[in-house]
Amino acid sequence: MTESPYWNPRHETMPRDRIEALQARKLRNLVEWADSSVPWQSKRLRDAGVTPDQVSSLDDLQQIPLMTREDWMQGQLEHPPYGPILAAAPESAIRYHMTSGTTGATPIRVLDGMKDWEWIAEMWCYGLWGFGVRPSDIVFVAFGYSTFIGFWGLHYAGEKIGCLVLPGGAMTTDQRVRQIVDMGATVVCSTPTYALRMAQEAKSMGVDLAGSSVQRLILSGEPAGSIPATKKLIEREWVAMAGDTAGMTELGTIMIFECAEQPGGTHIIEDHYIEEVLDPESGKPVPYGEMGERVVTSFGRGFIPVFRYRTRDLVVKVPGSSCRCGRTFDIYEGGIRGRVDDMKLVRGTNVYPRAVEAIVREFPEIDEFQIHLYTAEGIRDEIEVLMEIPDVDADPYRIMGEVGKKLADAHEGLRFGVKQAETGTLPRFELKAKRMLDERIVIGTEGERRSQP
Amino acid sequence: MKHQMKNLMDEDLTEPECVLVDIYRQLARVLETSGDELSPFAKRNALKALAALWQVMNGLDMDPGQVYDLGA
Repeated sequence: MTESPYWNPRHETMPRDRIEALQARKLRNLVEWADSSVPWQSKRLRDAGVTPDQVSSLDDLQQIPLMTREDWMQGQLEHPPYGPILAAAPESAIRYHMTSGTTGATPIRVLDGMKDWEWIAEMWCYGLWGFGVRPSDIVFVAFGYSTFIGFWGLHYAGEKIGCLVLPGGAMTTDQRVRQIVDMGATVVCSTPTYALRMAQEAKSMGVDLAGSSVQRLILSGEPAGSIPATKKLIEREWVAMAGDTAGMTELGTIMIFECAEQPGGTHIIEDHYIEEVLDPESGKPVPYGEMGERVVTSFGRGFIPVFRYRTRDLVVKVPGSSCRCGRTFDIYEGGIRGRVDDMKLVRGTNVYPRAVEAIVREFPEIDEFQIHLYTAEGIRDEIEVLMEIPDVDADPYRIMGEVGKKLADAHEGLRFGVKQAETGTLPRFELKAKRMLDERIVIGTEGERRSQP
Repeated sequence: MKHQMKNLMDEDLTEPECVLVDIYRQLARVLETSGDELSPFAKRNALKALAALWQVMNGLDMDPGQVYDLGA
Protein backbone atom coordinates (compact mmCIF):
# COMPACT_ATOMS: atom_id res chain seq x y z
CA MET A 1 0.00 0.00 0.00
CA THR A 2 1.36 3.44 -0.90
CA GLU A 3 2.15 5.59 2.11
CA SER A 4 -0.50 8.21 2.68
CA PRO A 5 0.54 11.89 2.74
CA TYR A 6 -2.26 12.40 5.26
CA TRP A 7 -2.32 11.37 8.93
CA ASN A 8 -6.05 10.60 8.75
CA PRO A 9 -6.77 10.31 5.01
CA ARG A 10 -10.54 9.92 5.32
CA HIS A 11 -11.01 13.02 7.47
CA GLU A 12 -8.45 15.19 5.73
CA THR A 13 -10.04 14.67 2.30
CA MET A 14 -13.70 14.62 3.37
CA PRO A 15 -16.14 16.70 1.31
CA ARG A 16 -17.18 19.90 3.09
CA ASP A 17 -20.72 18.73 3.79
CA ARG A 18 -19.36 15.60 5.49
CA ILE A 19 -16.87 17.60 7.57
CA GLU A 20 -19.68 19.85 8.72
CA ALA A 21 -21.90 16.87 9.54
CA LEU A 22 -19.04 15.39 11.58
CA GLN A 23 -18.49 18.69 13.39
CA ALA A 24 -22.20 19.00 14.18
CA ARG A 25 -22.26 15.54 15.69
CA LYS A 26 -19.14 16.23 17.74
CA LEU A 27 -20.59 19.54 18.86
CA ARG A 28 -23.70 17.82 20.17
CA ASN A 29 -21.52 15.29 22.03
CA LEU A 30 -19.43 18.09 23.52
CA VAL A 31 -22.51 20.00 24.68
CA GLU A 32 -23.82 16.81 26.26
CA TRP A 33 -20.53 16.14 28.03
CA ALA A 34 -20.12 19.72 29.30
CA ASP A 35 -23.76 19.91 30.35
CA SER A 36 -23.46 16.76 32.43
CA SER A 37 -20.00 17.26 33.90
CA VAL A 38 -19.19 20.98 34.23
CA PRO A 39 -21.88 22.90 36.18
CA TRP A 40 -20.36 26.24 35.19
CA GLN A 41 -20.54 25.35 31.48
CA SER A 42 -23.98 23.83 31.92
CA LYS A 43 -25.30 27.09 33.36
CA ARG A 44 -23.76 29.14 30.56
CA LEU A 45 -25.24 26.84 27.95
CA ARG A 46 -28.68 26.60 29.53
CA ASP A 47 -28.82 30.36 30.19
CA ALA A 48 -28.35 30.73 26.44
CA GLY A 49 -31.08 28.16 25.78
CA VAL A 50 -28.67 25.48 24.57
CA THR A 51 -29.35 21.84 25.46
CA PRO A 52 -27.75 18.74 23.89
CA ASP A 53 -30.93 17.46 22.28
CA GLN A 54 -31.45 20.61 20.27
CA VAL A 55 -27.97 20.77 18.69
CA SER A 56 -28.43 19.36 15.20
CA SER A 57 -26.37 21.54 12.87
CA LEU A 58 -23.49 23.99 12.92
CA ASP A 59 -26.00 26.85 12.86
CA ASP A 60 -26.75 25.99 16.50
CA LEU A 61 -23.21 27.01 17.41
CA GLN A 62 -24.24 30.66 17.15
CA GLN A 63 -26.47 30.30 20.22
CA ILE A 64 -23.52 29.33 22.42
CA PRO A 65 -22.02 32.35 24.21
CA LEU A 66 -18.51 33.45 23.39
CA MET A 67 -15.89 32.81 26.05
CA THR A 68 -12.99 35.15 26.72
CA ARG A 69 -9.68 34.82 28.44
CA GLU A 70 -11.08 37.20 31.06
CA ASP A 71 -13.93 34.76 31.77
CA TRP A 72 -11.37 32.01 32.21
CA MET A 73 -9.15 34.14 34.47
CA GLN A 74 -12.09 35.29 36.57
CA GLY A 75 -13.10 31.67 37.11
CA GLN A 76 -9.56 30.84 38.20
CA LEU A 77 -9.55 33.74 40.66
CA GLU A 78 -12.89 32.73 42.16
CA HIS A 79 -12.14 28.99 42.20
CA PRO A 80 -8.38 28.57 42.40
CA PRO A 81 -6.26 26.97 41.15
CA TYR A 82 -8.06 25.84 37.97
CA GLY A 83 -11.41 27.59 38.00
CA PRO A 84 -14.79 25.91 37.47
CA ILE A 85 -13.85 24.52 34.06
CA LEU A 86 -12.78 20.96 34.83
CA ALA A 87 -14.97 18.10 33.66
CA ALA A 88 -13.12 15.44 35.64
CA ALA A 89 -11.53 15.19 39.05
CA PRO A 90 -8.01 16.68 39.26
CA GLU A 91 -6.85 13.34 40.68
CA SER A 92 -7.43 11.74 37.27
CA ALA A 93 -5.06 14.15 35.53
CA ILE A 94 -1.56 13.18 34.50
CA ARG A 95 -0.28 16.55 33.21
CA TYR A 96 -0.25 20.13 34.45
CA HIS A 97 0.65 23.04 32.19
CA MET A 98 0.24 26.80 32.12
CA THR A 99 0.39 29.66 29.66
CA SER A 100 3.66 31.45 28.98
CA GLY A 101 2.23 34.71 30.32
CA THR A 102 2.79 36.65 27.10
CA THR A 103 -0.54 38.46 27.21
CA GLY A 104 -1.37 38.41 30.89
CA ALA A 105 0.38 38.57 34.21
CA THR A 106 -1.44 35.57 35.69
CA PRO A 107 -1.04 32.32 33.77
CA ILE A 108 -3.94 30.07 32.79
CA ARG A 109 -3.55 26.64 34.40
CA VAL A 110 -4.71 23.46 32.71
CA LEU A 111 -4.88 19.73 33.41
CA ASP A 112 -5.03 16.75 31.09
CA GLY A 113 -5.98 13.12 31.51
CA MET A 114 -4.17 10.21 29.88
CA LYS A 115 -6.25 10.10 26.72
CA ASP A 116 -6.22 13.92 26.42
CA TRP A 117 -2.44 13.83 26.50
CA GLU A 118 -2.49 11.23 23.71
CA TRP A 119 -4.88 13.47 21.80
CA ILE A 120 -2.56 16.44 22.21
CA ALA A 121 0.21 14.44 20.52
CA GLU A 122 -2.32 13.26 17.93
CA MET A 123 -2.93 16.85 16.81
CA TRP A 124 0.79 17.44 16.38
CA CYS A 125 0.92 14.21 14.31
CA TYR A 126 -1.39 15.86 11.75
CA GLY A 127 1.14 18.68 11.46
CA LEU A 128 4.34 16.63 11.47
CA TRP A 129 3.07 13.96 9.08
CA GLY A 130 1.45 16.55 6.85
CA PHE A 131 4.75 18.39 6.52
CA GLY A 132 6.53 15.18 5.54
CA VAL A 133 8.03 13.97 8.83
CA ARG A 134 8.37 10.16 8.79
CA PRO A 135 9.58 7.40 11.15
CA SER A 136 13.10 7.55 9.70
CA ASP A 137 13.51 11.17 10.79
CA ILE A 138 15.69 12.39 13.65
CA VAL A 139 13.83 15.23 15.35
CA PHE A 140 15.63 17.80 17.49
CA VAL A 141 13.34 19.83 19.77
CA ALA A 142 14.90 23.17 20.75
CA PHE A 143 12.66 23.85 23.70
CA GLY A 144 13.01 24.39 27.45
CA TYR A 145 10.69 21.54 28.61
CA SER A 146 8.96 23.30 31.47
CA THR A 147 5.36 23.81 32.61
CA PHE A 148 4.87 25.98 29.52
CA ILE A 149 3.27 23.55 27.07
CA GLY A 150 5.23 24.71 24.00
CA PHE A 151 6.61 21.74 22.07
CA TRP A 152 5.73 19.04 24.61
CA GLY A 153 2.99 17.65 22.37
CA LEU A 154 5.31 17.69 19.38
CA HIS A 155 7.85 15.63 21.32
CA TYR A 156 5.29 12.90 21.98
CA ALA A 157 3.99 13.12 18.41
CA GLY A 158 7.50 12.49 17.14
CA GLU A 159 7.71 9.38 19.33
CA LYS A 160 4.26 8.26 18.19
CA ILE A 161 5.28 8.55 14.54
CA GLY A 162 8.38 6.51 15.31
CA CYS A 163 11.04 9.18 14.89
CA LEU A 164 14.17 9.35 16.99
CA VAL A 165 13.43 12.39 19.19
CA LEU A 166 16.24 14.44 20.71
CA PRO A 167 14.99 16.59 23.60
CA GLY A 168 17.02 19.78 23.37
CA GLY A 169 16.18 21.29 26.76
CA ALA A 170 18.60 22.89 29.22
CA MET A 171 21.23 23.54 26.55
CA THR A 172 22.98 26.65 25.32
CA THR A 173 22.46 27.67 21.72
CA ASP A 174 25.90 26.49 20.64
CA GLN A 175 25.34 23.13 22.35
CA ARG A 176 22.09 22.76 20.44
CA VAL A 177 23.71 23.59 17.11
CA ARG A 178 26.49 21.13 17.83
CA GLN A 179 24.04 18.35 18.71
CA ILE A 180 21.86 19.00 15.65
CA VAL A 181 24.91 18.57 13.43
CA ASP A 182 26.63 15.75 15.33
CA MET A 183 23.47 13.63 15.67
CA GLY A 184 22.39 14.15 12.07
CA ALA A 185 19.04 15.70 12.96
CA THR A 186 16.78 15.88 9.91
CA VAL A 187 14.02 17.93 11.56
CA VAL A 188 14.49 20.90 13.92
CA CYS A 189 11.62 22.34 15.94
CA SER A 190 11.70 25.83 17.45
CA THR A 191 10.18 29.27 17.35
CA PRO A 192 10.96 31.24 14.16
CA THR A 193 13.06 33.68 16.17
CA TYR A 194 15.09 30.90 17.71
CA ALA A 195 15.59 29.20 14.33
CA LEU A 196 17.28 32.42 13.20
CA ARG A 197 19.21 32.63 16.47
CA MET A 198 20.58 29.10 15.98
CA ALA A 199 21.52 29.95 12.39
CA GLN A 200 23.44 33.01 13.62
CA GLU A 201 25.17 30.90 16.24
CA ALA A 202 26.10 28.28 13.63
CA LYS A 203 27.73 31.00 11.54
CA SER A 204 29.74 32.28 14.46
CA MET A 205 30.84 28.71 15.23
CA GLY A 206 31.90 28.16 11.63
CA VAL A 207 29.23 25.47 11.20
CA ASP A 208 27.82 25.16 7.69
CA LEU A 209 24.13 24.34 8.10
CA ALA A 210 23.85 23.69 4.37
CA GLY A 211 26.09 20.71 4.92
CA SER A 212 23.99 19.42 7.83
CA SER A 213 21.29 16.74 7.55
CA VAL A 214 18.47 19.13 8.43
CA GLN A 215 15.69 19.01 5.81
CA ARG A 216 12.74 20.46 7.67
CA LEU A 217 12.05 23.02 10.38
CA ILE A 218 8.80 22.92 12.32
CA LEU A 219 8.04 26.41 13.59
CA SER A 220 5.60 27.44 16.29
CA GLY A 221 5.01 29.98 19.04
CA GLU A 222 5.08 33.17 16.96
CA PRO A 223 3.25 34.41 13.86
CA ALA A 224 6.57 34.85 12.05
CA GLY A 225 6.47 31.27 10.73
CA SER A 226 4.05 32.49 8.08
CA ILE A 227 5.61 35.88 7.37
CA PRO A 228 7.02 35.24 3.88
CA ALA A 229 10.20 37.29 4.35
CA THR A 230 11.01 35.72 7.73
CA LYS A 231 10.28 32.23 6.48
CA LYS A 232 12.37 32.77 3.37
CA LEU A 233 15.25 33.96 5.54
CA ILE A 234 14.97 30.91 7.82
CA GLU A 235 14.84 28.55 4.84
CA ARG A 236 17.83 30.25 3.26
CA GLU A 237 19.90 30.14 6.45
CA TRP A 238 19.11 26.48 7.11
CA VAL A 239 18.81 25.36 3.47
CA ALA A 240 15.69 23.46 4.57
CA MET A 241 11.90 23.71 4.29
CA ALA A 242 10.15 25.59 7.10
CA GLY A 243 6.58 24.76 8.08
CA ASP A 244 4.39 26.87 10.32
CA THR A 245 2.12 25.58 13.08
CA ALA A 246 0.17 27.32 15.84
CA GLY A 247 -1.36 26.16 19.07
CA MET A 248 -2.37 27.44 22.46
CA THR A 249 -2.26 26.24 26.04
CA GLU A 250 -6.01 26.76 26.40
CA LEU A 251 -6.45 23.94 23.85
CA GLY A 252 -3.33 22.02 24.85
CA THR A 253 -1.99 21.60 21.35
CA ILE A 254 -1.94 22.88 17.78
CA MET A 255 -5.05 23.55 15.75
CA ILE A 256 -3.39 24.54 12.45
CA PHE A 257 -0.43 23.33 10.41
CA GLU A 258 1.27 23.98 7.11
CA CYS A 259 1.38 21.00 4.74
CA ALA A 260 4.31 19.97 2.56
CA GLU A 261 2.87 21.89 -0.39
CA GLN A 262 3.54 25.10 1.56
CA PRO A 263 0.45 26.96 0.35
CA GLY A 264 1.37 30.17 2.17
CA GLY A 265 -0.91 29.36 5.06
CA THR A 266 -1.96 26.74 7.56
CA HIS A 267 -4.66 24.08 7.32
CA ILE A 268 -7.19 23.96 10.16
CA ILE A 269 -7.59 20.51 11.76
CA GLU A 270 -11.31 20.63 11.18
CA ASP A 271 -12.17 17.13 12.34
CA HIS A 272 -11.13 18.20 15.85
CA TYR A 273 -12.02 21.90 15.92
CA ILE A 274 -14.58 24.37 14.71
CA GLU A 275 -12.77 27.58 13.83
CA GLU A 276 -14.97 30.63 13.30
CA VAL A 277 -13.68 33.98 12.05
CA LEU A 278 -15.59 36.89 13.54
CA ASP A 279 -15.42 40.64 13.33
CA PRO A 280 -13.71 41.50 16.65
CA GLU A 281 -15.98 44.51 17.17
CA SER A 282 -19.41 43.24 16.12
CA GLY A 283 -18.88 39.53 16.78
CA LYS A 284 -20.47 38.75 13.41
CA PRO A 285 -18.92 36.11 11.10
CA VAL A 286 -16.76 37.45 8.29
CA PRO A 287 -16.64 35.71 4.88
CA TYR A 288 -13.74 33.85 3.30
CA GLY A 289 -10.88 36.22 2.45
CA GLU A 290 -11.60 38.83 5.12
CA MET A 291 -9.60 39.34 8.27
CA GLY A 292 -11.23 38.62 11.60
CA GLU A 293 -10.68 37.11 15.02
CA ARG A 294 -10.24 33.35 15.47
CA VAL A 295 -12.87 31.81 17.72
CA VAL A 296 -12.33 28.15 18.51
CA THR A 297 -14.41 25.23 19.73
CA SER A 298 -12.35 22.14 20.57
CA PHE A 299 -13.65 18.58 20.60
CA GLY A 300 -10.58 16.76 21.78
CA ARG A 301 -9.76 17.70 25.33
CA GLY A 302 -12.51 16.26 27.48
CA PHE A 303 -10.92 17.49 30.70
CA ILE A 304 -11.62 21.10 29.75
CA PRO A 305 -14.44 21.49 27.22
CA VAL A 306 -13.92 24.73 25.29
CA PHE A 307 -16.73 26.42 23.38
CA ARG A 308 -16.30 29.48 21.17
CA TYR A 309 -13.14 30.76 22.81
CA ARG A 310 -12.06 34.19 21.62
CA THR A 311 -8.37 33.83 20.86
CA ARG A 312 -7.66 37.48 19.88
CA ASP A 313 -5.66 36.05 16.94
CA LEU A 314 -6.25 37.74 13.59
CA VAL A 315 -6.70 35.41 10.62
CA VAL A 316 -7.96 35.27 7.04
CA LYS A 317 -9.73 32.02 6.16
CA VAL A 318 -9.74 30.67 2.60
CA PRO A 319 -11.08 27.36 1.22
CA GLY A 320 -8.90 24.27 1.46
CA SER A 321 -9.15 23.89 -2.31
CA SER A 322 -6.69 26.78 -2.63
CA CYS A 323 -3.94 24.26 -1.72
CA ARG A 324 -2.77 21.51 -4.08
CA CYS A 325 -2.33 18.92 -1.32
CA GLY A 326 -5.85 17.51 -1.65
CA ARG A 327 -6.92 18.33 1.89
CA THR A 328 -10.38 19.76 2.24
CA PHE A 329 -9.49 21.43 5.53
CA ASP A 330 -9.77 25.21 5.19
CA ILE A 331 -6.67 27.35 5.39
CA TYR A 332 -5.63 30.42 7.31
CA GLU A 333 -3.88 32.32 4.56
CA GLY A 334 -0.70 33.77 6.00
CA GLY A 335 -1.18 31.81 9.25
CA ILE A 336 -1.86 33.89 12.34
CA ARG A 337 -1.62 37.49 11.12
CA GLY A 338 -1.17 39.01 14.55
CA ARG A 339 -3.28 39.69 17.58
CA VAL A 340 -6.19 42.04 18.02
CA ASP A 341 -4.36 43.73 20.89
CA ASP A 342 -0.98 43.87 19.07
CA MET A 343 -2.05 46.84 17.04
CA LYS A 344 -0.57 50.19 18.07
CA LEU A 345 -2.00 53.52 17.09
CA VAL A 346 0.83 55.90 16.22
CA ARG A 347 -0.16 59.42 15.18
CA GLY A 348 -3.43 58.07 13.84
CA THR A 349 -1.92 55.15 11.90
CA ASN A 350 -2.34 51.48 12.81
CA VAL A 351 0.98 49.66 13.23
CA TYR A 352 1.17 45.87 13.55
CA PRO A 353 4.47 44.26 14.62
CA ARG A 354 4.02 41.60 11.94
CA ALA A 355 3.92 44.20 9.17
CA VAL A 356 7.11 45.79 10.47
CA GLU A 357 8.83 42.41 10.71
CA ALA A 358 7.77 41.51 7.18
CA ILE A 359 9.71 44.53 5.90
CA VAL A 360 12.73 44.24 8.20
CA ARG A 361 13.22 40.57 7.26
CA GLU A 362 13.56 41.50 3.60
CA PHE A 363 17.06 42.58 4.59
CA PRO A 364 19.09 39.52 5.59
CA GLU A 365 21.89 41.78 6.84
CA ILE A 366 19.68 42.71 9.81
CA ASP A 367 20.45 40.30 12.59
CA GLU A 368 17.98 41.44 15.25
CA PHE A 369 15.59 44.35 15.64
CA GLN A 370 13.29 46.10 18.08
CA ILE A 371 10.29 48.39 17.57
CA HIS A 372 10.44 51.22 20.08
CA LEU A 373 7.53 53.57 20.80
CA TYR A 374 8.14 56.63 22.94
CA THR A 375 6.81 60.08 23.71
CA ALA A 376 8.89 62.95 22.35
CA GLU A 377 8.89 66.39 24.00
CA GLY A 378 6.31 65.21 26.50
CA ILE A 379 3.49 65.05 23.97
CA ARG A 380 4.33 63.55 20.57
CA ASP A 381 4.06 59.86 19.61
CA GLU A 382 7.21 58.51 17.99
CA ILE A 383 8.15 55.14 16.60
CA GLU A 384 11.60 53.91 15.75
CA VAL A 385 13.09 50.62 14.65
CA LEU A 386 16.46 49.68 16.11
CA MET A 387 18.47 47.23 14.05
CA GLU A 388 21.66 45.28 14.48
CA ILE A 389 23.70 45.00 11.26
CA PRO A 390 26.81 43.05 12.23
CA ASP A 391 28.06 42.35 8.69
CA VAL A 392 31.07 44.67 8.22
CA ASP A 393 30.67 44.50 4.44
CA ALA A 394 27.07 45.75 4.59
CA ASP A 395 26.18 49.39 4.03
CA PRO A 396 24.07 50.27 7.10
CA TYR A 397 23.07 53.70 5.77
CA ARG A 398 21.65 52.23 2.56
CA ILE A 399 19.80 49.52 4.51
CA MET A 400 18.38 51.94 7.07
CA GLY A 401 17.30 54.32 4.30
CA GLU A 402 15.51 51.55 2.42
CA VAL A 403 13.86 50.13 5.54
CA GLY A 404 12.63 53.58 6.56
CA LYS A 405 11.15 54.23 3.12
CA LYS A 406 9.43 50.83 2.92
CA LEU A 407 8.00 51.23 6.43
CA ALA A 408 6.60 54.67 5.60
CA ASP A 409 5.17 53.43 2.28
CA ALA A 410 3.42 50.57 4.07
CA HIS A 411 2.01 52.84 6.80
CA GLU A 412 0.31 55.75 5.05
CA GLY A 413 3.52 57.79 5.05
CA LEU A 414 4.06 57.47 8.82
CA ARG A 415 7.62 58.52 9.65
CA PHE A 416 9.63 55.78 11.35
CA GLY A 417 12.95 56.52 12.96
CA VAL A 418 15.47 53.87 11.88
CA LYS A 419 18.64 53.49 13.90
CA GLN A 420 21.52 51.07 14.05
CA ALA A 421 21.99 49.38 17.41
CA GLU A 422 25.32 48.06 18.56
CA THR A 423 25.72 44.38 17.73
CA GLY A 424 24.61 42.11 20.56
CA THR A 425 22.74 44.81 22.51
CA LEU A 426 19.14 43.97 21.55
CA PRO A 427 17.32 41.20 23.46
CA ARG A 428 17.44 37.63 22.13
CA PHE A 429 14.56 35.20 22.58
CA GLU A 430 14.22 31.44 22.86
CA LEU A 431 10.43 31.31 23.17
CA LYS A 432 7.98 34.01 22.19
CA ALA A 433 9.82 37.07 20.98
CA LYS A 434 8.75 40.48 22.33
CA ARG A 435 10.18 43.00 19.91
CA MET A 436 7.69 45.80 20.57
CA LEU A 437 8.77 48.11 23.39
CA ASP A 438 6.06 50.68 24.14
CA GLU A 439 7.41 53.35 26.49
CA ARG A 440 4.96 56.08 25.56
CA ILE A 441 3.67 58.35 28.28
CA VAL A 442 0.99 59.77 26.00
CA ILE A 443 -0.97 57.22 23.94
CA GLY A 444 -2.00 57.81 20.35
CA THR A 445 -3.72 60.99 19.38
CA GLU A 446 -6.12 61.05 22.30
CA GLY A 447 -3.67 62.76 24.58
CA GLU A 448 -4.45 60.16 27.24
CA ARG A 449 -1.55 59.98 29.68
CA ARG A 450 -0.38 56.71 31.08
CA SER A 451 -0.08 56.47 34.82
CA GLN A 452 3.54 56.49 35.87
CA PRO A 453 4.85 53.24 37.30
CA MET B 1 -15.87 -14.74 10.61
CA LYS B 2 -15.73 -11.56 8.55
CA HIS B 3 -16.34 -8.35 10.47
CA GLN B 4 -18.91 -5.87 9.25
CA MET B 5 -19.25 -2.55 10.99
CA LYS B 6 -20.33 0.98 10.20
CA ASN B 7 -19.18 4.06 12.02
CA LEU B 8 -21.51 6.81 13.22
CA MET B 9 -21.10 8.65 9.91
CA ASP B 10 -22.71 5.57 8.35
CA GLU B 11 -19.50 4.55 6.62
CA ASP B 12 -18.19 0.98 6.37
CA LEU B 13 -15.06 0.18 8.34
CA THR B 14 -12.40 -2.08 6.84
CA GLU B 15 -11.72 -5.50 8.33
CA PRO B 16 -8.56 -4.41 10.21
CA GLU B 17 -10.37 -1.31 11.50
CA CYS B 18 -13.18 -3.52 12.82
CA VAL B 19 -10.61 -5.65 14.65
CA LEU B 20 -9.17 -2.55 16.33
CA VAL B 21 -12.65 -1.46 17.40
CA ASP B 22 -13.25 -4.90 18.93
CA ILE B 23 -9.91 -4.79 20.76
CA TYR B 24 -10.69 -1.34 22.16
CA ARG B 25 -14.09 -2.48 23.37
CA GLN B 26 -12.66 -5.59 24.99
CA LEU B 27 -9.93 -3.56 26.64
CA ALA B 28 -12.46 -1.04 27.98
CA ARG B 29 -14.66 -3.87 29.27
CA VAL B 30 -11.78 -5.58 31.09
CA LEU B 31 -10.78 -2.31 32.74
CA GLU B 32 -14.35 -1.54 33.70
CA THR B 33 -15.25 -4.94 35.12
CA SER B 34 -11.92 -6.30 36.35
CA GLY B 35 -9.51 -3.38 36.46
CA ASP B 36 -9.05 -3.67 40.20
CA GLU B 37 -8.08 -7.34 39.90
CA LEU B 38 -5.19 -6.56 37.60
CA SER B 39 -1.63 -6.14 38.82
CA PRO B 40 -0.31 -2.58 38.70
CA PHE B 41 1.80 -3.31 35.61
CA ALA B 42 -1.15 -4.86 33.78
CA LYS B 43 -3.66 -2.18 34.68
CA ARG B 44 -1.48 0.84 34.01
CA ASN B 45 -0.22 -0.51 30.69
CA ALA B 46 -3.77 -1.42 29.70
CA LEU B 47 -4.84 2.16 30.48
CA LYS B 48 -2.05 3.54 28.30
CA ALA B 49 -3.15 1.23 25.51
CA LEU B 50 -6.74 2.35 25.98
CA ALA B 51 -5.72 6.01 25.73
CA ALA B 52 -3.89 5.27 22.48
CA LEU B 53 -6.70 3.15 21.02
CA TRP B 54 -9.19 5.86 21.98
CA GLN B 55 -7.52 7.98 19.30
CA VAL B 56 -8.20 5.23 16.76
CA MET B 57 -11.86 5.06 17.83
CA ASN B 58 -12.13 8.83 17.62
CA GLY B 59 -10.41 8.95 14.24
CA LEU B 60 -12.76 6.26 12.91
CA ASP B 61 -15.80 8.23 14.15
CA MET B 62 -16.90 5.61 16.63
CA ASP B 63 -17.76 8.22 19.30
CA PRO B 64 -15.73 6.69 22.13
CA GLY B 65 -16.95 9.25 24.67
CA GLN B 66 -14.86 9.95 27.75
CA VAL B 67 -12.86 7.41 29.74
CA TYR B 68 -11.87 9.28 32.90
CA ASP B 69 -13.98 6.91 34.99
CA LEU B 70 -11.76 4.06 33.81
CA GLY B 71 -8.64 6.01 34.72
CA ALA B 72 -7.60 7.23 31.27
